[in-house]
Amino acid sequence: MSSSRNALRRADRIGWLFALPHLVLFAVFLLAPVGYGFYLSLHRWHVLAQDHPFVGFANYRAALADDIFWLALRNTLLFVVIAVPFGNAVSLLLALGLNGLRKASTPYKVAVYLPVVVSISVVAVLWRWLYNREVGLLNLTAKGFVDALRSLGLPLAPFDPIPWLADPSLVMLSIALMTIWWTAGGNMILYLAGLGNIPEDYYEAARIDGATNAQRFWHVTWPLLRPTTLFCLVISVLGSFQIFGQSYVLFAPGSGPARSGLTLALYMYQQGFSQYEIGYGAAIAYLLFALVLGLTVVQFRLFNAERRAREGRAI
Amino acid sequence: MLLDRPPTTRREFLRRAARQGLGGAALLAAAASGGGCGVGRQKAAVRDERDAQGRRILNFWNGFTGPDGKTMEKIVRRFREENPDLDVRMQIIPWGTYYDKLTLSLAFGGAPHVCIVHAARLPEFAAYDALNDLGGLYAAEAAGGRGFSEADFAPVPWRATFYKGRQYALPLDVHPICLYYNRKLFREAGIDGPPATGEAFLEAAKALTRDTDRDGKTDQWGFVYTWQRTNFLTFAAQFGGGIVTPDLQHAALSSPGSLAAAHTMLDLITRHRVAPRPEGVDAWLAFRQGKVGMALEGIYMQTSLEEQKGLEWAAAPAPQFGPQQGVWGGSHLLAQPRGIPDDAARDAWRLMRYLSDQSLAWAAGGQVPARRDALNNAAFSQLAAPAQAARQLDYVVYEPMTPRGNALFPFADPAIEAFLIGRETPEEAFADADRRMEQVLKRP
Amino acid sequence: MSTTRYRPQARRRRFDPGQAFLHGVMALAALLFLAPLGWMLSTSLKSPEDVIAGLGAMRWLPNPLTTENYRYILSKVEEFPVWRWTANSVLVALSVTALVLVVDTLAAFAYARLRWRGRDALFGLLVATMLVPGQALLIPSYLIVRALGWFDTYLALIVPAGASAFGVFLLRQFFSNIPAELEEAAVLDGCGPLQVLRHVILPLAKPALAALGIFTFMATWNAFEGPLLYTDSLAMRTLPIGIAVFQGRYNTEYGPMMAAATLAAVPVVIAFLLFQRHIIKGIALTGLAGR
Repeated sequence: MSSSRNALRRADRIGWLFALPHLVLFAVFLLAPVGYGFYLSLHRWHVLAQDHPFVGFANYRAALADDIFWLALRNTLLFVVIAVPFGNAVSLLLALGLNGLRKASTPYKVAVYLPVVVSISVVAVLWRWLYNREVGLLNLTAKGFVDALRSLGLPLAPFDPIPWLADPSLVMLSIALMTIWWTAGGNMILYLAGLGNIPEDYYEAARIDGATNAQRFWHVTWPLLRPTTLFCLVISVLGSFQIFGQSYVLFAPGSGPARSGLTLALYMYQQGFSQYEIGYGAAIAYLLFALVLGLTVVQFRLFNAERRAREGRAI
Repeated sequence: MLLDRPPTTRREFLRRAARQGLGGAALLAAAASGGGCGVGRQKAAVRDERDAQGRRILNFWNGFTGPDGKTMEKIVRRFREENPDLDVRMQIIPWGTYYDKLTLSLAFGGAPHVCIVHAARLPEFAAYDALNDLGGLYAAEAAGGRGFSEADFAPVPWRATFYKGRQYALPLDVHPICLYYNRKLFREAGIDGPPATGEAFLEAAKALTRDTDRDGKTDQWGFVYTWQRTNFLTFAAQFGGGIVTPDLQHAALSSPGSLAAAHTMLDLITRHRVAPRPEGVDAWLAFRQGKVGMALEGIYMQTSLEEQKGLEWAAAPAPQFGPQQGVWGGSHLLAQPRGIPDDAARDAWRLMRYLSDQSLAWAAGGQVPARRDALNNAAFSQLAAPAQAARQLDYVVYEPMTPRGNALFPFADPAIEAFLIGRETPEEAFADADRRMEQVLKRP
Repeated sequence: MSTTRYRPQARRRRFDPGQAFLHGVMALAALLFLAPLGWMLSTSLKSPEDVIAGLGAMRWLPNPLTTENYRYILSKVEEFPVWRWTANSVLVALSVTALVLVVDTLAAFAYARLRWRGRDALFGLLVATMLVPGQALLIPSYLIVRALGWFDTYLALIVPAGASAFGVFLLRQFFSNIPAELEEAAVLDGCGPLQVLRHVILPLAKPALAALGIFTFMATWNAFEGPLLYTDSLAMRTLPIGIAVFQGRYNTEYGPMMAAATLAAVPVVIAFLLFQRHIIKGIALTGLAGR
């Protein structure tokens, strides 16, 4: 009895010993910030102040009454709503295309994935140039296109340069487009891997049943791809809510015309490190955290409910 | 699967965690992080370091990125030659990020021995007790017979060095707005000299606004808005308005004075059509290119005009548009961080004192010195633009001298822009901004 | 795990119009994705006049072709120490990758193959924190880095990155799938846990380790928010931050900016092209495991 307990203790020790290096880092740089951030959010904490009085949830109340917070939330949501579905659709379509190729798909894969390896600064610097109203590639190309059509006699109005980054109502769309270009390759690889995991027998069976391409997609590919889709969606939503670098490099510090590029993460950064209100910034961070957590849970619920419904039907 | 099947329920986890001393790990982490409340200003903000030769290192931070930085570098180099016992290291940080860095260094350590602080930023640092009270150093200087008194400085910058009765800085300069005008365009339009009143300004602006190539579009403007904030503050000061009330307690963009200033500005665009909407125009560039007759800009902009070949320009005091005199201005003040050791503070003072004594050299880069002896020096009156700007010295108005000033501009700036580009009326834009600024001012 | 790809029709034909069409579509997509990078390179090689005006601005092939932009920014060594930033990025990315591989391997082994009290609870905690958005922790992490005295040092750029639970999670999935018999045989031969890890687990988990290494390296190479906050001096910046700060001052000089962006992108693009097979495989693997 006692020897087995000793053995157990020894096993415990070994287990902890192996886990410890990571645990220490984890505790100091992940757990501690989680707790410390919450602690900060309950205080009025100006970086220069000598004392930081406890204010309860006053920072949270102030944030919820702060219309710039809501504007930042609106901008962030707008970005998520554009970038996540369209980004995933682009990635999935590309993956389906690649998957359908019998050979020589690698060059396409490499080309689409290439932007992923470039850092956000380079991406934003480059796209600010592409989006230039007068001489940016996008407007130049569009103008050339419109002019060509006009010279063919089509009754089109002369091309009016699109103010990609100057018009507040276009800013988030432009940022989303840039982000989709930047990240589509990553999800494409994941979708491709998911497609590769679908056993061929299913398609074989569908073919014997005489299913069309569309039927094969909706009855075999789409349902069997669901774990991949879910994973990609969750990852995209998580990432999109945290959007920071795009606006920071394109617009900092004011974040664009009429603050149209101001996102939650950036607002938190501004409050913490330009207004020096650490406590207020931390409260915004926690609201962001709660939002992301809530949304992720909802996503899983939806997917599970949908799966149950489908399985119920199948039986 | 990521979430479908969490290995354990939360409650079970908490129970087990408590039993197995995870609390201890968390505690450890908290201790490593400074115990939650320990991360404040505990260490001295300034590091006292020596260089390889055993000389004290003096760090001096400023944001002079342009030609003024070269001027400052020259002055500092001379100081180094004359004070071989000190190793002065000047760091130029662009103004855009300067205060973020300075504030964080004051809070967490690594602050410079001497830093430039704008007059309007001093109250915030002083209110948080982040700057060294220079009372002792001023007194020691007086005891040595080289003391400074109010009489040695222009009154506006001198007053700006105090916060609640304590003196935190040595004033270096004043940089008010002034009227830059294109002499060639003035000559062509038959205007004698720079306008001094609102009426004369309007008359000149009308004569200068032209469609030179007769395509139906104005291509030469009488006036442009460059930095909208300082332009507005100039107009507001003349109409008795401002961003906050004189007692600094309330937002005042909706006050009659501010609204009158805004409408006067707007009229130049919409009614008199002598200025373009400031949308998508690189206004200062247009002035440099000779396509604009007049602009209201800080005296420090003169260096960018000196670089412009073929441009005939001059500076004059800003015209008086409203019932009273007033122009926006800023001041570079020299300050030290709190917690600087006494002997380091004395060495730092030597540098500050030297820079002040070199006011005339500094003024040549496009500044009005704060020191009276420099102002009264004949050599200063040779500096055309700064000498003109100096005529406004008595009625220079700073940005709001409140610890909350920095937190107000994120609301005031967009409101000024909104009415100038015509997105909102001044009334709408200012009511909205006032409401938000009132929240900031009310914060405990 | 079946990895055979579904091929619509197994019969071989000389010319398949469907396939040709698909190739056309994919080629067009690939071109669209390459075009911005191509334009960046093209702009960087244009003369200043051609960058912003006239016919020159519309040309894909610069004429005249000039390296003036590159010479210009490389002459601004004091404001634009691009080689230093590159070296920082390489050093930091390699160090973080090494740290993560070592620390996460040990931890994953403990969670996957060892039995100890607290294991499951801790692992649950690790998994739960994977949902915490990194940005939400920026402010407290900054204060912690300051309190440790690591501000503006390599330590701040390297050590905090080891806290993530992702790698532990990923490796645990792989380690758990390794048959227990192999381990038991090794234990019978007198191997301790460390030997089991070294001689049994690691050789079998090479693909997973490679995948985690690649993933970590790339994530660190492109990291933005942390390095932005944890460093201050020009000499300590990593490449992405350096470029971001630099562009703030030269934001209308597009020729030099594109040259700077190209310089920053070239090493990583070359590395990717050299190792693309492994990288793409590795990313797919991390995705599969994460799912």
